Amino acid sequence: MKGILKTGAKAPYDVIVCGAGHAGCEAALAAARMGADVLLLTGNLDTIAQMSCNPAVGGEAKGHMIRELDALGGEMGINADTTAIQFRLLNASKGPAVQSPRAQCDKKAYQYRLKHIIELQANLSLFQGVTTDLIFEKGKAVGVKTHLGVDFYGRALVVTTGTFLKALMHVGDAKSEGGRMGDFSAKTLSDSFKSAGIELGRFKTGTPPRILGGSIDFSKCEEQPGDTKPTFFGFYDTRGDEDLFHVEHFGQSKLGWKPGEARISCWTTHTTPTTAEVVHKNLHRSALYKGDIKGTGPRYCPSIEDKCVKFEKQDTHRVFLEPEGRNTDEWYINGLSTSLPFDTQLEIIQTVPGLEKAHIIRPAYAVEYDFVIPTQLTPTLETKNIENLFFAGQINGTTGYAEAAAQGFIAGVNAVLKIRNETPFIMQRHESYMGVLIDDLVTKGTTEPYRMFTSRAEYRLLLNAGSAEHRLLNHTQRLKIVSNKRISAIEAKVNDTLHWVKFIEKTTHTGGTFANSIRRDPLAINYSFLPIKFNKLSEATRDEILYQVRYKGYLDRDLRQIAKNTNLENIKLPKNFDYYAIRGLRIESQEKLTAIQPLTLAQASRISGVNPADINVLAIFLRAQQK
Amino acid sequence: MSWGDTIMALATPMGESAIALIRVSGPLAAPITQTAFKLEGTPPARSVKIGYYQGVEGHPLDHCAYSYFEAPRSYTGEAMLEINCHGNPLIINRLMADLIKQGCRVAEPGEFTRRAFENGKIDLTQAEAIADLIRAKSDRAILLAQRQLQGALGERVHELVDQVLNLLAQTEAYIDFPEEDLPPEDKEGPLQDLSKVIASVKKLLRNRQQAPLLCDGIKTVIIGAPNAGKSSLLNILAGHERALVSAEPGTTRDYIVERIIIGQYSLQLVDTAGIRESDNPLEAQGIERAIQQAEAADFYIGVFDQSAPWPDLPQSLLDRLTSERTLLIINKCDLSCHPHFNIHPALAAHTKILLSLKTGQGIDDLASVIQSTIENQLIHPSEDDLLINTRHGAAISKAYEHLNDAKGQDGLQKPVELMASDLRLAIDALGEITGKIENEQILDRLFGNFCIGK
Ligand SMILES: Nc1nc2c(ncn2[C@@H]2O[C@H](COP(=O)(O)OP(=O)(O)OP(=O)(O)O)[C@@H](O)[C@H]2O)c(=O)[nH]1
Ligand SMILES: [Mg+2]
Repeated sequence: MKGILKTGAKAPYDVIVCGAGHAGCEAALAAARMGADVLLLTGNLDTIAQMSCNPAVGGEAKGHMIRELDALGGEMGINADTTAIQFRLLNASKGPAVQSPRAQCDKKAYQYRLKHIIELQANLSLFQGVTTDLIFEKGKAVGVKTHLGVDFYGRALVVTTGTFLKALMHVGDAKSEGGRMGDFSAKTLSDSFKSAGIELGRFKTGTPPRILGGSIDFSKCEEQPGDTKPTFFGFYDTRGDEDLFHVEHFGQSKLGWKPGEARISCWTTHTTPTTAEVVHKNLHRSALYKGDIKGTGPRYCPSIEDKCVKFEKQDTHRVFLEPEGRNTDEWYINGLSTSLPFDTQLEIIQTVPGLEKAHIIRPAYAVEYDFVIPTQLTPTLETKNIENLFFAGQINGTTGYAEAAAQGFIAGVNAVLKIRNETPFIMQRHESYMGVLIDDLVTKGTTEPYRMFTSRAEYRLLLNAGSAEHRLLNHTQRLKIVSNKRISAIEAKVNDTLHWVKFIEKTTHTGGTFANSIRRDPLAINYSFLPIKFNKLSEATRDEILYQVRYKGYLDRDLRQIAKNTNLENIKLPKNFDYYAIRGLRIESQEKLTAIQPLTLAQASRISGVNPADINVLAIFLRAQQK
Repeated sequence: MSWGDTIMALATPMGESAIALIRVSGPLAAPITQTAFKLEGTPPARSVKIGYYQGVEGHPLDHCAYSYFEAPRSYTGEAMLEINCHGNPLIINRLMADLIKQGCRVAEPGEFTRRAFENGKIDLTQAEAIADLIRAKSDRAILLAQRQLQGALGERVHELVDQVLNLLAQTEAYIDFPEEDLPPEDKEGPLQDLSKVIASVKKLLRNRQQAPLLCDGIKTVIIGAPNAGKSSLLNILAGHERALVSAEPGTTRDYIVERIIIGQYSLQLVDTAGIRESDNPLEAQGIERAIQQAEAADFYIGVFDQSAPWPDLPQSLLDRLTSERTLLIINKCDLSCHPHFNIHPALAAHTKILLSLKTGQGIDDLASVIQSTIENQLIHPSEDDLLINTRHGAAISKAYEHLNDAKGQDGLQKPVELMASDLRLAIDALGEITGKIENEQILDRLFGNFCIGK
């Protein structure tokens, strides 16, 4: 631990982060790496960066976000790479924009490594204590109370308590308090938020049972060995040794395997019509179907009850068996999430080929929890009502590790910028999935746990995973979280890319320009007509150059559209603008604009229900006020 | 401040005036003035000129008065073109459609004013009043659009949106959930669906274009016996001596076409040879052609000389002269009525107007009777149909282009993410008619149609 533990009002930290999940870890690391003096509080040191759901990281859009985090100086990518047990590039048969890395990780290794990184981080103090209340002074957040009776003070607070707010777990009729099986529930914090005027909603999510691998008949399942050539989350072509992964580089414990090697397989099987029968027969005992659960669950993560009821015609559903690690025989049964009672869970699992003798070691459960309605936040994730109070992660109504990590990073960075009085760090929708994520949350809110999809990004083609370092270079340069050496390497890579794209567009050979030849045969792997020097570039650089050449027409179309919108992006809306004073606005628009308090005219135009005429009226008034 | 794009809108209320004003603002104003009015060099600024507006396809669309204003000495502070054309919705729509083809886009309510304001052209004390005006305009536009969408067109557009949403949901499902619980990807299905959607958009566009009333005007054939006064009628309506008039029956041999505007309507007026039994081969041929013209008409004006006996007209022709499509002119009321001028029973109940084309008695009402007959009997128009058409037409054409892009060329299937990108633009274009289609709607469809999730 490289920070000093300080308590009381006289010794405030720069930033206090409450919660050490995926959001909290990124928030604390980013803030500390920017030189701020940070305290990371967690209710349980043994569950730092725990994967509460399945032991996998990445996937469509999430993998993209992890790449973006990696480009900016986040930790998730490298942590997943070093602790993965197999990698898979999703959509490998589709275009580069929608290809995304995904990895199964060793759950415990993942936690240990991240915990260790936090322990080693300069300026970062780690402490186990449950946050019970926030301390406010003159409408500002100034500190936290813990259950030990010890208070900590900070100039900015980042709250990342995930699903722990008034968390209630259901296994059929059996209810217990807690944000995760075996963990506690933050019972008083919700009230602390409410008394500060923060509006809360209630969501629900669930997990499937975990079973012993020894009880699985793998001969009835199909093997998924993962890719032989791993696709990492981190960018290693721009990293030197000092930015490399192993914790042992710091002279600490060894991992014992090399990233990408020593793969472990996943397996798939499927439900049967008998499964559906059992579900239907017991539906009245499901916490979900009895009406015990009031929170809204995600549509893309349906329980087995939902699948059997809403898609009755489909008589089998896939089930994925995912190992939880190298040193455990615990398996995660992805696809069988349920709130049915335990005896029914047993009956259900035994209808699945290969799982007839399954030995459940942790039951499935559904969990309900309070979340902060995210439209109360600004794009820096600070609350609009209470200064210096930031929220990030699942507490904002999202799901997923990458979604949480991305928010944590953004909140951590902005907390530091805020106390330093510097310009906030806000990415636009065309720059990154992280930008889309934040804009969606704070502008539109969400009616179900929010997960990122590539289809949420209107400029998806510009946001390919391979270009994250290119796209975000100006932010990486500004934040300086990664080493100067790496920044130079990224700059060189971006310059190479620019140079070669231009060269390929301009240079001709017998078949016209190089670019035309490439576009004519977009599936080719090698373009022998390109100079040898091109082939000496790193694979990542070559891929990006070829991508920009092949997809030029489409990328240009998007760029034109973005240029058209810059006018609106550049017109700032003042803080606490009185929209009710503008007579030309419809009441619906006045209400929405007042609630969201958009920062720019472009953000205002994205609020559903605000129409182009409203934007014209607003523009006129802004102009009038400026004069 | 430069906005980059060029906007266009009708400044006068549709159909309420004889003259309509279309305004164009933005960088394209100058080049459009040049091409439309066939000018060499920069158009003369700040003066009213007269000329034929030539569409991009080279056809003259209307005789207009126009003025060009260079930036910043204009209402908006940008280069502007103001076109005064006939206040006929058909002509207005054609002109606006042509401006869109040339790269303009239909302005949002209040956009001209906003540009004027941004460029410092409007005093800030006026801001409040202007905002109210924009609000009123936008409320009216929303109301009109809603009414419009309850009609047949609305139904078709909603169907289209529905089909494209399904396609997009299907495409996106396989992009975003490659390893979840989806049935094996069917690549042919979506392509076939796409072709179907393209075909129905094409039909929608063709209907719009083929509607003769919208494009070519109402084909109106003047029919009657020789010497009844048909050519006299054409000349009066055209406003100049277009056809030869003489006391000699059988003067007009071949048919004569003249385009005229009556009220909001554009008429393609056809004067024909008087119909009778004739031994003269040339005249007989002319009569033959007159009957051919009559067969393809939208509307008829029958001209009858009341100083002569009722003429003998072929039954086949009489059958065509139905009451919705026909106006009878009983001519030569300056002369006494012939005792055998007995209106054929089949035509007895039709709308009639008694006048003298020679003395001018009764012709004051001529235009208004023609207009009201067309309006009440022929087309029962909904003004809103026409009003929204340009915006809708432009949006549908845009959607059509993007759908075609999505399909790709030469039967080569496009990468799905590119196809999705085109489909999204198509949905956005349709959203200009239905109101913005949010991403959430695509997701709703996706999760409704597919069992996603582990
Ligand atoms: N007295 C009188 N003469 C008229 C009137 N209208 C037309 N005429 C005369 O009738 C004659 C025939 O007129 P047109 O207009 O040539 O008749 P038309 O129907 O075109 O005749 P064809 O071309 O021969 O079929 C001309 O001498 C006109 O001057 C009218 O209202 N009163
Ligand atoms: Mg004649």
